[in-house]
Amino acid sequence: MTLDPAVEASIHKGKSPSSQGAVVTRRRIGRPRPSGRTVNAVAALVAAAAVLYAAFFGAGPLPALGPAFNPLTGAWTMAAAAQVGNQTLHLAGLQQPVNVSFETDGTAHIVAQTDHDLFLATGYVHARFRLFQMDLMRRQGEGRLSQVIGKAALDSDRFELQLGLLRTAKLEWSQLTSSDPSRDALIAYAEGVNDRISEAESTHQLDAMFTLLGYQPAPWTPIDTLIVKGDMTQTLNFTDTPLVIAQLDKSLGADLTSEWFPVLPPNAQSPYDPGPYGAATTAPIESMSQVSDSVAATAAALYQRLAALPPGLIATGGASNNWAVAGSKSASGGALLAGDPHLHLTLPSIWFQLSMDSPGYHASGVSIPGTPIVLIGHNQHIAWSLTDAQDQQTFYYLEHEDAAHPNQYLWKGSWQPYKTVAYDIPVLGGATEHLTVKLSVHGPVITQRGQTTSVWWAGNLPSQDLDALLRVGQASNWQQFRDALRDWHSPTHNFVYADDLGNIGLISAGYFPLVAAGQPWLPMPGTGEDDVTGTVPYDAIPQVYDPPAGIIWSANQRQVTSDYPYYIGTASNFFDPGYRANEIHRVLSLGTANGGKMSAADMMGLQTDTRDFLASEIVPVLVQALAGEQLSPSESAARDLLAKWDYRMDTSSAAATIWSTFWQSYLSETFDPWWKSRAVSIDRTEVDDALGQDLEAWTLGDTANRAFSSPGNGVRTAADVMLKAFHATVGTLTKSLGSTPSSWPWGRVHTRELENLAQVSGLSYGPRADRGDANTPLASGGNPSTHGPSWRMVVDWGTGTFSGIYPGGQSENPASAWYTNRVDTWWSGLYAPMLTADQASAAKGTFKWSLQP
Amino acid sequence: MSRRLSLGITLIIVVALGAVDLVLFAWWAPFLAGLAIGVLAGRARVTIPVGALLGLLAWGAPLLYDQERYGLGPAASSLAAIMGFGHQGAIPVVLTLLVGTLLGLTGAWLGSVAKSWLPALQRATSR
Repeated sequence: MTLDPAVEASIHKGKSPSSQGAVVTRRRIGRPRPSGRTVNAVAALVAAAAVLYAAFFGAGPLPALGPAFNPLTGAWTMAAAAQVGNQTLHLAGLQQPVNVSFETDGTAHIVAQTDHDLFLATGYVHARFRLFQMDLMRRQGEGRLSQVIGKAALDSDRFELQLGLLRTAKLEWSQLTSSDPSRDALIAYAEGVNDRISEAESTHQLDAMFTLLGYQPAPWTPIDTLIVKGDMTQTLNFTDTPLVIAQLDKSLGADLTSEWFPVLPPNAQSPYDPGPYGAATTAPIESMSQVSDSVAATAAALYQRLAALPPGLIATGGASNNWAVAGSKSASGGALLAGDPHLHLTLPSIWFQLSMDSPGYHASGVSIPGTPIVLIGHNQHIAWSLTDAQDQQTFYYLEHEDAAHPNQYLWKGSWQPYKTVAYDIPVLGGATEHLTVKLSVHGPVITQRGQTTSVWWAGNLPSQDLDALLRVGQASNWQQFRDALRDWHSPTHNFVYADDLGNIGLISAGYFPLVAAGQPWLPMPGTGEDDVTGTVPYDAIPQVYDPPAGIIWSANQRQVTSDYPYYIGTASNFFDPGYRANEIHRVLSLGTANGGKMSAADMMGLQTDTRDFLASEIVPVLVQALAGEQLSPSESAARDLLAKWDYRMDTSSAAATIWSTFWQSYLSETFDPWWKSRAVSIDRTEVDDALGQDLEAWTLGDTANRAFSSPGNGVRTAADVMLKAFHATVGTLTKSLGSTPSSWPWGRVHTRELENLAQVSGLSYGPRADRGDANTPLASGGNPSTHGPSWRMVVDWGTGTFSGIYPGGQSENPASAWYTNRVDTWWSGLYAPMLTADQASAAKGTFKWSLQP
Repeated sequence: MSRRLSLGITLIIVVALGAVDLVLFAWWAPFLAGLAIGVLAGRARVTIPVGALLGLLAWGAPLLYDQERYGLGPAASSLAAIMGFGHQGAIPVVLTLLVGTLLGLTGAWLGSVAKSWLPALQRATSR
């Protein structure tokens, strides 16, 4: 701080600045000047104003410094909030005392004497550790991020309000009757969250992010919980693939698009439900037709709009595993179950681990903060986990409009008025945005330019998923489990099941929408002929129970064979290419063949399996293609590494690096010339999953496919392109990693990162070298990989052991010991025992809370 | 007003504002305390350092208390990360102390200025 010179002079000399400085100045310059006292006063005012302004309102990127950094109430309180110890707490709304215990790793165990109290206490515990995360999730779905972030979030808010999570949540809430158990659970949960909000406000222990962003959370409502559920539905099954296919059709051509992006997968996969199936009641799907200019332009405009949205709002392909082994195939004699849902890996995690016990509900596993139930876990008799089913749940409709009928669209021969819904979006630091959403019979209009397009999305249909999950948690056998899931609609999930009697099952619960006619993989006419008319009947959806082989598995692959009579989505992007499912099926088949028995340790080993099934198919073909070719010393060394490789994408494996680079190069050498010659507007890498299936199938069985003879390259075979790709691979790696292939371990080029949910990079974990790739059961696609096994659970009903782990920690507070305490265990492929409340209570180091009415 | 009386009143006000700070968690209390010191004591060369020291203590003491009780390392490191300074935990500590100090300093400065202008204002109003 520099004081005004006149003030300093007066301080040092002890004289009034007005008595000397001003006179001297007047004499020197010869005209009147402000006195030193005036200058001092102005300087003091300016300095005080500047400090107070920065303290009240912040400066530049800094928040309001006063409230933000006040040691008593500001962000520093995160240090106190990070402390957890034995406590007695009084919560409004409790009917009876509730006991909560915390293991040393933060796992919570809630034991209540009434169901109401159980859900209330769950709400309190969630909010105690994850309130900011919960608030962010509801804000995202409700289109209220701009209110706290500013204009940067406006596109996301507009889109969410158009798409309609808020409308659907309100509708779902209004449909719950007073006798509905999930209604009571939602209300009690909200009470618990609000108890924590009140407490945190009065003790000044709101999460630091609230303080730094300068807002306080609004009270929690049951609709907020339904919004959080909607967020997950959107992340998992709102897709833009028809828009992608429309642009491919226009630019690449209908012929190649039909051939390269087929409905049924071109490669060999491992469906879990092989049939036989009943007869379908709908007409067969037609083949690909030519897309018009206006459809392509509309699709392009809408695609670009969706592509500009923040990551996570559009489903871009799933990656989760689950499987089960029957008691008859298990070393312990009891059924085995394994589940690892693959999601965006964040800090804090999407999961919060707990056990919940009350007279009417007992479950242990992981919950999503903001929702009152265990989503994946077990009770006393059954265990369950889920993967995304990947069937098509998003359909685009081009509405037919006419200038003579403003604000109307033609549907089933008559002009229909659009319904409208108006929203106000508060914007931090800006004017409130007014948004009017138009709704056709198909759903919300989401185009901003081009032909008016509305979207039919299964996530917009009311689905009482919480009711279904409550009954799943209360089920004790397959029949009850299956009956409970009858009311689960969206997102469609593959629910795996194993019970304490040795039975196993798998059912893809949820809507499989049926379209009357047309081409659902493209935007369809909105005039009524191609509308969604229903869903595959529950008894006809993919499902198996106690199959003869004693094993079941799902990894986002197509669940059924080509004999399945219903259209459920195309091979391009809706379903996984199937390599993880193939590998899981291979390992389970081998382990249970010839009287073999598998154990929980085998399940854990498979969850961290790094064997790339695609590599196991292609690398031998590549090595054979390289035989007899003139290779440089580096190329020869690279070939030798591949020839001896076990196809495991381990951090120490140089062959893994060569394979990964080769496969990208092979895709590029095969398809890029086509992309260039036909000026395809879609980034090729975005459809690599689909193209990879083609390339795999051609390499293994159609080596002279015309795709290899791309424009400008003459007639080529698979072997020719592989050779060229291999040369390019070694050249690329030599340039970036040196000329010695043995010094190219996968860990040098492949990393994983757990991203902070608020996008604060300093609070993320990594990037750190890690094993796996997109094709391995231990999924780790991308680089750095930010997606992967968000929770690993293994159940052995024979020994009664339950194990689980997720990357992260129970607390969102970065100053807490429970922020990243589970990461190393997860990274190492280890597990923690899932204790009962009694076991946890008796364990050393457990903290106990007594919640009193 | 005698010097002793001024000092007594100043002390009472400072203590009262300190209590307000603790009870109401009022972050702006150091500014008001500095202002009070400035108005009552008046001499800038005394009041400005005292105000600055008061602000430093008002914001520094609770930090010190939390450091002794919980350890502030993880919180400081996290705040630095949120502010975009990597894990340089010293930065939020310095910033916090600086804010407290400046609040006290500018309050005292403004108070001393006000004190120096009071006689002139009184003369102006008495005419």
